[in-house]
Amino acid sequence: MDPAELKEKFTGFVFDEIELDINADSLVGFATACGETLPKFTNPEDADFQGVPNYLTRVHGTQALPKDFPVEMHRCFDAGKSIEFHAPVRQGDKIKGRSEIADIFEKSGRSGSMLFIVHRMNFYNQGDEHLATVDWRLVQREFD
Amino acid sequence: MILDLHSHSVASDDGRAKVENYCQWIQRKELPLDGFVLTEHRQFDDTNDYRGLEDKFGLAILKASEVETEYGHVLVFGVNDDLKNAFDFARINNPIATVIEEAKKAGAVAIPCHPGRPKVGMCAHWKTSGPVEGVEIVETLNGGSREGENEETQAFAERYGWKSIGGSDSHIVSHIGRYATRFDDEIRDIDGLVAALKNGQFEAILPDTNV
Repeated sequence: MDPAELKEKFTGFVFDEIELDINADSLVGFATACGETLPKFTNPEDADFQGVPNYLTRVHGTQALPKDFPVEMHRCFDAGKSIEFHAPVRQGDKIKGRSEIADIFEKSGRSGSMLFIVHRMNFYNQGDEHLATVDWRLVQREFD
Repeated sequence: MILDLHSHSVASDDGRAKVENYCQWIQRKELPLDGFVLTEHRQFDDTNDYRGLEDKFGLAILKASEVETEYGHVLVFGVNDDLKNAFDFARINNPIATVIEEAKKAGAVAIPCHPGRPKVGMCAHWKTSGPVEGVEIVETLNGGSREGENEETQAFAERYGWKSIGGSDSHIVSHIGRYATRFDDEIRDIDGLVAALKNGQFEAILPDTNV
């Protein structure tokens, strides 16, 4: 299918929503794995204890793509994630993550043409405060 | 006057350099550049205005585009509304003949970039699919090329009598100025650059740098 047609059909709506509770162990574990040493990220007793800014990149939804999205996974690879930080994650937060396809586009490179699918998750806390926007890029190559 | 004719900012999906950071790098490293051209992938950046940075850093910051064709990527200098309406900049398989012809009609200049690169360079397609009419200038010095790719382009340029430009193809700050183009003319804006490319008084160079 033409990328413009895919974009028309599959962008602009939320296709998945998840909820999760944030606990101190998870925040500390992720911060430690990142090599973080500041007490506000590693010590739950710290007055400003919070998740590291990229904490929410660890979260996945229940489905990578909308139902019926015509992708050939054997030709795909993970092209990484980026995060736009809006507000800190705190212990005790009840987070909602909503998934949508933000963009679909083609480009050509040394290895041929590639279809880029940008899966975007927006995260909100119990007060509906926007915490982060995480873009995950999936690339489908021209060849196996 | 020396300009890097091929660079990408964060406006390109794979660009990691902010335009101000390019300026700071050029100033800090005392690179012998008088400016650079932003050639964002598959688009023309209509929105960003870099006049403040030009004044602050004393650099010419011009805007062009890198479009994609069935013969590989092509830089287009002098993008205007006529050209934007002539073909779809976002597509990866525009006919190169259309890009070259429409650029000429719109008063712009189309220059195949990294022609020696497999798949996205013109030379390989030239060999398998035949020659392209209307090519007059190619990017013989591309900063993202691998061994042998610029040499392949140079051989084509000599064989067919094409003029040469140079550009870094930088996507990160520290790559700006790896290659550039020296002009006889003073260039202040994109119209001046287009005119200089048309009059042919330029050469691709490796800037004298200690980076």
